[in-house]
Amino acid sequence: MHTLRVLAALFKINLQMSLAYRADTLVNILLNLMWLGWELLGLSIIFSNTTQLAGWGIGEMIALMGVFRLVNMLMASLIWPNTEKFNTSIRDGSLDYTLLLPVNSLFLTTFSRMVIWRAWDLVLATALIVVGVNMSGGGATPLRLLSFMLLTGTGAMIIYSLWIVMIAATFWFVKFDNNVTILQALLDAGRYPANVYPVWLRMIVTFVVPIAVATTVPLQALRGELTFLQILLYLGVSLAAFVVASRIWKAGMKKYSGASS
Amino acid sequence: MSELIQVNQLSKTYKVPEREGGFRSAVRGFFKRKYRDVNAVQQVTFTICQGEIVGFLGPNGAGKTTTLKMLSGLLHPTGGSASVLGYTPWERKRGYLQAMTLVMGQRNRLSWDIPAADSFLLNQAIYRIPQAEYARTLKELDELLDLSPIMRKPVRNLSLGERMKCELAAALLHRPQVLFLDEPTIGLDITAQARIRSFLQEYNRRTGATILLTSHYMADVTALCERIIIIHQGRLKYDGAISELTHRIAPFKLIGVALGDPCPCDLTPYGKPVAGENGDGKQFVQVPAGEVASITSRLLAELPIHDLTIEDPPIEDVIERAFQE
Repeated sequence: MHTLRVLAALFKINLQMSLAYRADTLVNILLNLMWLGWELLGLSIIFSNTTQLAGWGIGEMIALMGVFRLVNMLMASLIWPNTEKFNTSIRDGSLDYTLLLPVNSLFLTTFSRMVIWRAWDLVLATALIVVGVNMSGGGATPLRLLSFMLLTGTGAMIIYSLWIVMIAATFWFVKFDNNVTILQALLDAGRYPANVYPVWLRMIVTFVVPIAVATTVPLQALRGELTFLQILLYLGVSLAAFVVASRIWKAGMKKYSGASS
Repeated sequence: MSELIQVNQLSKTYKVPEREGGFRSAVRGFFKRKYRDVNAVQQVTFTICQGEIVGFLGPNGAGKTTTLKMLSGLLHPTGGSASVLGYTPWERKRGYLQAMTLVMGQRNRLSWDIPAADSFLLNQAIYRIPQAEYARTLKELDELLDLSPIMRKPVRNLSLGERMKCELAAALLHRPQVLFLDEPTIGLDITAQARIRSFLQEYNRRTGATILLTSHYMADVTALCERIIIIHQGRLKYDGAISELTHRIAPFKLIGVALGDPCPCDLTPYGKPVAGENGDGKQFVQVPAGEVASITSRLLAELPIHDLTIEDPPIEDVIERAFQE
């Protein structure tokens, strides 16, 4: 309850900030729409030459684009802005004030900045997923939809955990501004189903920076390619990842010694 | 009175990477770091009672901020113990964080782009302040700090003094019982400094809050604190009343005389001549505290004196001496 109240207060502050820059918000939404058109154009070029990409039809690819957008939204609305704020605050010592507050520090670090207009992506992503699923000719039973949503959540959780580890590394190295760049660089690989890639790259996007777990895997669930046991496995892995990550965060906090006054 | 803050043999040693200047040592340092131990705080012991305002003094790098950071729970000490309000600060229990505050004059806690009033609301949520109490506290702080005209402007549009007022308000909304203030008046002009000072005094009177503050402005210290703690190079040098410090460190007085004859005359037979502060034409001599009476009567008898004053040496000088001892 308390957490929700703080979250609401943070949301309000961030909303006010984005309202203060109206023009910026509008331009961003327009740019965002342009990118979407560009991506759809890319897809239509591919599928004017072929009907399938590694076994995936155009409907499924559109749905994948939707999931990819969801992950992208997570990155752009929370992960990027909060990383930037965190990196600055650890170097200039303003993290001290965050640590003095009687709230979980990881929670505040995750949610203190929100790029609110990115919520618009949620609408686009949902539209893409709905259209994509319909185009792929149904087969989406309620159970498959449920597991799809569940696995989208676990995928996000795994990426989030990875992010925690990367920013916690800053506690040890103090200057480590590229901590999230690698995440973004590999995120682009999530645009296409993991099985279009050569094995070595598929390994990286599944295990090292598990972007595929957040994009391809939910779609596989939607296509009914996953067994119950596999779904359970992903669930377990994401929980374990989060537990390990928050342990590392706690250790990092102990290490943090604050910048000199 | 109960001892609210107890500090016992508190120590902090930093490991600091160090290298000589130049490209070569930079490369060497990349592969093999050399560390040096810096003893920022060494076996400092003191206690502070509820409701006290204590000045925490020392030159730059003396260990003041490090001590404050340990007491507010931001740093783990490398030795010793401390208890504030019955809590061990660096365990950072919720109850402790809820009951104390740290203000650092050189840092901002308020969001830059929005009015302070909005940041206050965030603090209300974080510190779980009930609406009625929040309204009451804010009204009280508004009375003392005159926040109304400034708290609705974006923080980036405020002057330094206005911002400090808002920073203080944000730090006090949850009615902390213990205040750690690290140079709360730094960079402010004289009027703003005086404003903050009288606010702290009034706040302490109304709420009975305990305050430990550092400042490089002696006016802050003399106005607010009866007791001071001096540390130098991490070690405790003095803990006691300001007046006592003067007796101990500088057991002399300054006699200022204005002579009827405007030409300066030699005062060396009476004591050590020192430069006066205010340019009112007075000449000053420094004399041992025990001989003030006899020297004064000699001066009056032997010289054409218009006006005569007896003063304590300026507190800046006394503290300067204390640092050097």
